[in-house]
Amino acid sequence: MSAPGIEQRLPGLLREAPVPGATEAERRGHAVVAAAFAERGEADRLPVSAEAPRGRPASLPRLALGLLIAALAAALLLSPAGASVRHWVGDVFTDNAPKAHPGLTAIPGGGRLLVQSADGPWVVQADGSRRLLGDYSEATWSPHGLFVGTASGRTLNAVEPDGTPHWTLNAPGPVTDPRWWAGKYRIAYRAGNELRVVAGDGSGDHLLARGTAPVAPVWSPTGLRQLAFVEGGVSRPPRLTFADAESGAPLDSAAALPSTFKIEWADPVHGLLEVSRSVLRIRALQLGENGAIAIQGSTRLPSPGGRIEDASVAPAGDRVAVVARLGHGERTRSSVLLYEGDAGPRRLLTLPGRLSQVVFSPDSRRLLVAWPDADEWLFVPVGKGQPQAVGDVSAAFAPGSKGAVAFPTVEGWCCAR
Amino acid sequence: MADLYAAHWRRAHRAAYLIVHDAAAAEDVAQDAFLAAIGALDRFDRRRPFGPWLHRIVANRAIDWARREGLRRRVDAEREGEAERAPAPRPGPEIDEGVMAALAGLPADQRAVVVLRHLLEYSPGEIARMLELPRGTVNSRLRRALDRLGELLEDER
Repeated sequence: MSAPGIEQRLPGLLREAPVPGATEAERRGHAVVAAAFAERGEADRLPVSAEAPRGRPASLPRLALGLLIAALAAALLLSPAGASVRHWVGDVFTDNAPKAHPGLTAIPGGGRLLVQSADGPWVVQADGSRRLLGDYSEATWSPHGLFVGTASGRTLNAVEPDGTPHWTLNAPGPVTDPRWWAGKYRIAYRAGNELRVVAGDGSGDHLLARGTAPVAPVWSPTGLRQLAFVEGGVSRPPRLTFADAESGAPLDSAAALPSTFKIEWADPVHGLLEVSRSVLRIRALQLGENGAIAIQGSTRLPSPGGRIEDASVAPAGDRVAVVARLGHGERTRSSVLLYEGDAGPRRLLTLPGRLSQVVFSPDSRRLLVAWPDADEWLFVPVGKGQPQAVGDVSAAFAPGSKGAVAFPTVEGWCCAR
Repeated sequence: MADLYAAHWRRAHRAAYLIVHDAAAAEDVAQDAFLAAIGALDRFDRRRPFGPWLHRIVANRAIDWARREGLRRRVDAEREGEAERAPAPRPGPEIDEGVMAALAGLPADQRAVVVLRHLLEYSPGEIARMLELPRGTVNSRLRRALDRLGELLEDER
């Protein structure tokens, strides 16, 4: 075919080529973009020219196209995703913060917390008593809370909850993101950009993958030796990868969300939640015999309407809690949202400033929400009931310190015994 | 906002898909481009049209994605010792015949100039400014792309 012939045909072919999932992508894109506009507070005063696109006029008459757009907009506003956006756009903030009790005297709902402060990790008992474990930079509960895995420089350690060291392993790089396997006695951790696995007694340390992204790996809740992690992210696109934790054999892999910062198993075993600052996506998984995993597709959750600060899957795997931030500077406010079933997110509360973290209780009935701007933790019932607030959190984990101290991070809420 | 979105989303998304040939990546590219454009509105001269500005972001991000994906495939293939057997970029499931299959076989930077020229109807000079390339490079990429498309289509006859 001659070049002029191609030039004549190309515009029509390019315009008419089917784009897979275009309608759904347009709906999801609208929710995200509308939320971003709302965040800027410019939705109603944006004087940017919305000039008609170049090229051949649309085949639909202008009036019909206008009606189509209006119908689309109405459908979006009535859809779960659109409903959440409308909610944000029309949101009038009301201060529904509970009155804080100074000091942590008891953990609402019970259980034990693992809390990382500038001094190291602390174990907080149900009655509020707490103990500093040592000079470690990260920590993770073992499945039943009998041990704590800790990281310090190039060492991975297992210590008892009273701080007694159990064993120490020298790793080939700085240790981060230790995660203890619920199925058997294994710990996955990152050493530099390597992903490694070691037995719970410190033996059998081995390399699983190189070039991993700074995202904590997650073990399958099935009890099988499957591990999910994110590869790449710097010089190559991030990939969500599932692998056999013993042999290192890859099970399946797919492109991860750009800038994924957290993954968690969900639904309760047939899904994996990917979290970026703007997108929540569930990967559907097919679990086969002998530990096989196949990625079957993905579904984006309706936009939370703001920058995603944290997300957490309930231990039962059936709900996702999200904290999202809206606005900037003095206008910043944050919401806690709960996704359950096919409905859009349910907003549990909105507060001024930044909420940094959300963690489910072991029985999935409460959320611990970190509110650094108020120096508080909020314990928020997922069902009926009033939130409870605990104040002076920073000072509780920095005894003897004078002046400003960093707000601590909750590393886990463990297994009531 | 609804007008702006309705006027630009479909073409931006289509352009991204025709460059990256991956539905999920195209959606991410188009979304990210809109969000980047919104985030940079303070620096934008609002008397100027929004479309070329958005298309510039879309095209550059789509090219970056396609290059990274191509590099990843080569690295994976080399890691597995299968460089010689590594397949060429495959077209998407719907792009499986005729001119579209031929387009899928072009390098991403050639696909981008074809899309910008023949879908979005920018002039070579405008494309050169969008992609920060010499105009001669744009012309040569367009010419090579059309020649290649012609060869591939001739082979099919």
